[in-house]
Amino acid sequence: MTATLSAPPAVAPKPRPKSRFWAMFALPGVGWLVAFFVVSVYAVMAVAFGTVDPVLRTAVPAWNPMQWDFTAMRSVLDRIFGGDLGTVFIRTVGFVAASLAGCILIGYPVAYFVARKASKYRGLLLILLVLPFWISYLMRMLAWTNLLQVDGMVNDILGFLHLQNEPRNWLDGSASTVIWGLVYGYVPFFILPLYSTLERIDGRLIEAGRDLGASAAQTFVRVTLPLSVPGLMAASVITILPMFGDYYTNTYLTSGSPKTEMIGNQIENYLLGTSQPQTGAALVLVLMAFLFVLMAYYLVVTIRQQRMAER
Amino acid sequence: MISSRRDFLARSVQFGALLGVGIPLLQACGGSDSSSGKKTQTIADGLQPEKGPLRIFNYDSYVNPDVIADFEAQYGVKVEITTFTTDTEAVTKLASKAIQADVYHSMASTTIDRLIAGGVIQPLNKTYLTNFPNVLESLQDPWYDKGSAYSVPYVYFGTGIGYRADRIDPAQVEKDGWNTLWNATDFKGQVSVLDDEREALIMAMMRKGQFDVNTTDQKIIDQALADLTELIDLVNVKVNIDGYKNIPEGTTTIAQTWSADLINAYAGYLPEGTDASVLGFWHPPAGEYLVSNDSMGVVGDCEHPVLAHLYLNYMLDNAVAEKNFSYVGYLPALTVLDADYVIGKGYVPENLRACVPTKEDISKALFEKPLGVDGDAKYEAAWSKFTSGA
Repeated sequence: MTATLSAPPAVAPKPRPKSRFWAMFALPGVGWLVAFFVVSVYAVMAVAFGTVDPVLRTAVPAWNPMQWDFTAMRSVLDRIFGGDLGTVFIRTVGFVAASLAGCILIGYPVAYFVARKASKYRGLLLILLVLPFWISYLMRMLAWTNLLQVDGMVNDILGFLHLQNEPRNWLDGSASTVIWGLVYGYVPFFILPLYSTLERIDGRLIEAGRDLGASAAQTFVRVTLPLSVPGLMAASVITILPMFGDYYTNTYLTSGSPKTEMIGNQIENYLLGTSQPQTGAALVLVLMAFLFVLMAYYLVVTIRQQRMAER
Repeated sequence: MISSRRDFLARSVQFGALLGVGIPLLQACGGSDSSSGKKTQTIADGLQPEKGPLRIFNYDSYVNPDVIADFEAQYGVKVEITTFTTDTEAVTKLASKAIQADVYHSMASTTIDRLIAGGVIQPLNKTYLTNFPNVLESLQDPWYDKGSAYSVPYVYFGTGIGYRADRIDPAQVEKDGWNTLWNATDFKGQVSVLDDEREALIMAMMRKGQFDVNTTDQKIIDQALADLTELIDLVNVKVNIDGYKNIPEGTTTIAQTWSADLINAYAGYLPEGTDASVLGFWHPPAGEYLVSNDSMGVVGDCEHPVLAHLYLNYMLDNAVAEKNFSYVGYLPALTVLDADYVIGKGYVPENLRACVPTKEDISKALFEKPLGVDGDAKYEAAWSKFTSGA
């Protein structure tokens, strides 16, 4: 008698009915997005492409796209590509790029230390990193306006350390003050997402690098740094998006110097101080479009990296 | 300590992020089309005041809380104050009915004609305003509201130069006038102009002898813009309304300011041990002096119009106005509170006498008047170019 083993019948698993239960978890988020993003953006568009009440000078939004008037948008684009607003845009991009560089230089070592080297102090350091969020951004900027006064603590300390002979007027409208203000304000937003990426890097990969003869620096450059790129990207996006719309950092740290005017200042001026809200709304849309390009690039890179990781 | 609405404007700029999008949205929700032709009726004589609460719409810190408390006690009502940060925001919220208010506390003169045309404020019944004769004679029939039919003046101030008298010779400021700002190359980064397109551009015009402060001539505006832009490289000019604290604190040496800013500077912002003599204020001679005032009005379709009238009358009482002045630092537009009185009472030091406009200053004053949509657009475009630093 020969015993034969037969393969189990190839019965296809019964497809499980798709549960709508988990899909419903997305509903609050979708509702939120519709209410506070889609509708809001459409309202901004309706204002940008609408008119102004001739008496009260308030915005008269054009809800019907057939009635949209692109005059304000055309004017804004003309001024960006060859006019005064172009200067402000380029200056804003420059400030944000320099501030991002500052965030990387300061934030990366901090995030790396907390994630990989802090060991038992990690919890304490994380609390310290979150601490700035307990105080409003505005209050922190106001504090700096006091610290940076000619007779403020910054000059006192620099003088005490003999790092400068004469007290400097830090608030005289210089770009460097605005850039450092942005770095100071946003670096916690940079560190936290980067920390979470660095913390998740498998330590065995770094050990393997060292075992294979790479120096500490080589291991960092060839293993840690590439693996932290997703975190760097996320941290950069989270940081630069609000920076582009920031205007109070400049307002407070330069007392309104035209030399450091950012695009957010122009938006504020048009929406709050003029009879041309449609111009302010058009500027908002242009800035959103610009940021959308940056965001799309981030998404493309992230998706590519995910696919590579899955292979 | 005297604080001011200018202080609040500077402190509350953070809310602009919200309001910047929120204001047009509020208007959008209102769904109004053109607002012209809406007129409201005046209330009848001899009505009993409503039970309240009286809802006041005002800049923050622009009325003395003690004065409000006294009103509540006197009339047995509750007063609720809602604040705004700019004229634009206030008009938009009132017009779209995003806010229910009884008293619009601080209307700019240049917007009153539009508020009347849009039905945002209602005609006043003068029988309730028994203190109206206390108002400065020249403002009882103001250019922006004939016969004060819709408004009563609240406070007034002039535009001049606030400066540090310990750093720059007052005689030199007197001699140079508006040129003081352009000559201040020794004070780079310590010079500022008002964050107000018309005020700043008009200053540049007056420096060149152009005293039609309501011109819409593009050439004159362009020239003023070019002159103002010179200040960016010459003195690294700042654009703000912070003279009231920056001058006493010493971070600003020369600033185009409102006269009330220096009164505020004296009352609340001089560092301990610093004498009031460090403060100086210059303004152009009568006939070339730009004077402005804020006004109070009753909101068009408000719930408590009688109580609102009583409040306006209360604020025109001499003693109440003086008490209010001791807090806000802006001069009430009442005859009794002249320079001799406020200096004698110690509210203003003698060296800042110029901060209180004289009768002649007011009678010959230049006033900013409404320019229409196109006229305003010219100034706004020039201002945007100036502040862009391009």
